[in-house]
Amino acid sequence: MNLERIPNEEKLSLCRRYYLGGFAFLPFLWLVNVLWFFREAFLKPTYTEQPQIKSYVKKSAVGLTVWVAVLTTWITIFQHFRAQWGEVGDYLSFTIPLGTA
Amino acid sequence: MNTSDSEEDSYNERSALVQCESPTIPSYNQDHDVSLPQQTDTKRRRPVSSGLDEPGPVERERASTPDGEEEELTLKYGAKHVIMLFIPVTLCMVVVVATIKSVSFYTEKSSQRLIYTPFEEDPNSVGQRLLNSFLNTIVMISVIVFMTIILVVLYKYRCYKVIHGWLILSSLMLLFWFSFMYLGEVFKTYNVAMDYPTLVMIIWNFGVVGMICIHWKGPLRLQQAYLIVISALMALIFIKYLPEWSAWVILGAISIYDLIAVLCPKGPLRMLVETAQERNEPIFPALIYSSAMVWMVGMADSSNPGSADGRLRNEGGARAQEEEESEDDVAHGGRRRYSAEEDLEEDRGVKLGLGDFIFYSVLVGKAAATGGDWNTTLACFVAILIGLCLTLLLLAIFKKALPALPISITFGLVFYFSTDNLVRPFMDSLASHQYYI
Repeated sequence: MNLERIPNEEKLSLCRRYYLGGFAFLPFLWLVNVLWFFREAFLKPTYTEQPQIKSYVKKSAVGLTVWVAVLTTWITIFQHFRAQWGEVGDYLSFTIPLGTA
Repeated sequence: MNTSDSEEDSYNERSALVQCESPTIPSYNQDHDVSLPQQTDTKRRRPVSSGLDEPGPVERERASTPDGEEEELTLKYGAKHVIMLFIPVTLCMVVVVATIKSVSFYTEKSSQRLIYTPFEEDPNSVGQRLLNSFLNTIVMISVIVFMTIILVVLYKYRCYKVIHGWLILSSLMLLFWFSFMYLGEVFKTYNVAMDYPTLVMIIWNFGVVGMICIHWKGPLRLQQAYLIVISALMALIFIKYLPEWSAWVILGAISIYDLIAVLCPKGPLRMLVETAQERNEPIFPALIYSSAMVWMVGMADSSNPGSADGRLRNEGGARAQEEEESEDDVAHGGRRRYSAEEDLEEDRGVKLGLGDFIFYSVLVGKAAATGGDWNTTLACFVAILIGLCLTLLLLAIFKKALPALPISITFGLVFYFSTDNLVRPFMDSLASHQYYI
């Protein structure tokens, strides 16, 4: 859908819903929120709902960064220590690479 | 993979569902027909539809432009939209071919078959194999016909809840289960370790955002990307689970069915299109890829509020039933707001059903999987695009719902078999004799 064509209240409502939805373990939703509403929030001339949209975009960005950090840490730990964890490592693994320790 | 019958039911129903949507590019035509009454802008050039006879500014404009210019404008209008369809079709095919070439899972023959193709193809006897593939095709096509008729009946009797539930179930399966399988195979192919928590996060995010974008509201590009991805996933499933010869026969049979269903007066798809047009509703937008925004403004004098309600839409994606009602609200709002202006920039979308994507990709994917080399694949790819081009041309001329499968699939099949059996040995022997032409 084209953001140009919908009224501001609906934009705000949409942004808000995307923001709230992201709390269900959905950092991707927050990413979409940030990218989609970025222009609306920061690059458009001011309108009534803009400050709120801005705040939602910022909060989504913060949430996204937190999730990215958490996931990166976890993935790094897992990839590095998987072989050493033995059984637990296998239990956690969905695919186990062949031919390595 | 151990598939249960119900899963196969769902996704095959979906493919049936999709396929029955696929042949028509009705909304393209609808957009044609539909936009004309609202046209108030003389700067905008639009092809004229002979079907509509709404009075208004359109008539005056029509009279003023010479016929030759109209014809030329019709075609010019079409070229941009041809390109707008080429890109997603190409992307879908690229994804399928890339997967086929790299992930061997989808080309391994499994002993499991879909229940829709119950006859086993015996590689030893040609006659038996041919017979079985025809029987498989008959089973598959009858399943599809049956599903289509059910769909039309449900639509006629306004059982929208059932249809939406069905659509949601099948997108759920595609977005979660098939992508899970696909990811698993890709990781195995590239020998990457993946843990369950990360995987669950990835699939969960992919699936939920996909459901939101397709069935609710989301950015247009993301929605298009999701539709392409699910078409590719579906095509890969077909490539894996349809037996060799049955697949080709099924492709041919589906094109013929498509032709019949869309063009015959009593064809189910035609009835679907006509019912939808009567009711001024878009046809199952969740199953149709649309490539651009459509914004059609109500007529300045609102002299035909009925048509304007249906026309004014925030196009570009999945419309659930509640969405249509909200569109009407937007329509009312839009009319009030824009009634004094010329109509805005209209970038009319082109729509193609997802089933078309799927079957085009199945053809090219099978050519990549079983054909000799890249020649065959590329030839099929080009053939399909040429077919699509011609179909769109015909659409611009005839301005009614047209099946998108027959021409492309025919070209594709012809090119596949001829390239595989004629061109490839020719090129091989040229190369072996180091003779370059």
